[in-house]
Amino acid sequence: MLGRAFPILVTVAIACFGAAPFLIGAAPYESTMGLVQKIFYFHAPSGMTMFVGACVAGCASAAYLFTGKTSADRIAAAAVELTVLFGAIVLMTGPLWGRKAWGVWWQWDARLTSSLLLWMMFVACLLVRKYGGPGSAKLAAAVALFGMANVPFVYISVNVWRTVHPKTTVVPSLGAGMRGPFWFCVAAFLLLFLVLLAVRVRLAEQQSELETLYLELADRPATS
Amino acid sequence: MQFLKIIPTPFVLLVLWMTAAVPMQAARQAPASQPRTAPPAAQDEYVPLSELPPDEQLPAVPLVFIAYGLIWLAVLVYVITIWRRQSAVEKELQVLKRQLRS
Repeated sequence: MLGRAFPILVTVAIACFGAAPFLIGAAPYESTMGLVQKIFYFHAPSGMTMFVGACVAGCASAAYLFTGKTSADRIAAAAVELTVLFGAIVLMTGPLWGRKAWGVWWQWDARLTSSLLLWMMFVACLLVRKYGGPGSAKLAAAVALFGMANVPFVYISVNVWRTVHPKTTVVPSLGAGMRGPFWFCVAAFLLLFLVLLAVRVRLAEQQSELETLYLELADRPATS
Repeated sequence: MQFLKIIPTPFVLLVLWMTAAVPMQAARQAPASQPRTAPPAAQDEYVPLSELPPDEQLPAVPLVFIAYGLIWLAVLVYVITIWRRQSAVEKELQVLKRQLRS
């Protein structure tokens, strides 16, 4: 998928994640939450990557549904897996931060519940693809489309409803010392997403090649 | 994709580094004590978390450590599953190609 750029991207991603602890460590200490706020530098970028993954999965699914291109289906399948991965990271790190900052592991408020629902939709998408039988790719594509449609609601939920979760205005209002490390981590997570997407799409291509070869092998006695 | 085969060892090292580095770097930076200011009038019946007795305070370091550990564990597990699936597919492809050639 990325061709010659792939090794360069992997190297840059590793370098970014190697440098991230120094930047996060050097970022100003948040006065009210203290040390636990450092989770923010990986929690929020994971959330943003989950949204990107959901949008890539939704767009690729739409392309597959309307054009029937199998390459779009492969990208959708890869993006769905990555959305589940980054969603799991968000849902695991959030409660660890919340336990210290809010005093509770979980709160059934709009942002947390809608994020969980978004993640469950993409888990459902994976399950449909794996156990749905013939035609499951199209059904999974439809589920991914609904998942993508959910993204704006999850994003604005903190501004529309009263929640314990910080609003979307937190990121633009970050102090100068926090803004740099935060956007650096966002870039690192997006790079990681791109690298993993390329690897997963390559795997899907090989699986598709394998299926073609099996069909060729099955047709052999009939043609000879 | 041969390049992928060299990822896991450095990746595992990176995971270990990332898991420990952020909490360590951040903890080193932690101020010795928070500056004390008088609470606003409407809140004077509450005790700030930082003023609770030590046995009632929740330490942040384990939470940060677990958070970063879980992130890298999740990514590592995913990379390993991809790697295993890819190895199995590549093996199967080679066998099939040999069968088709013969």
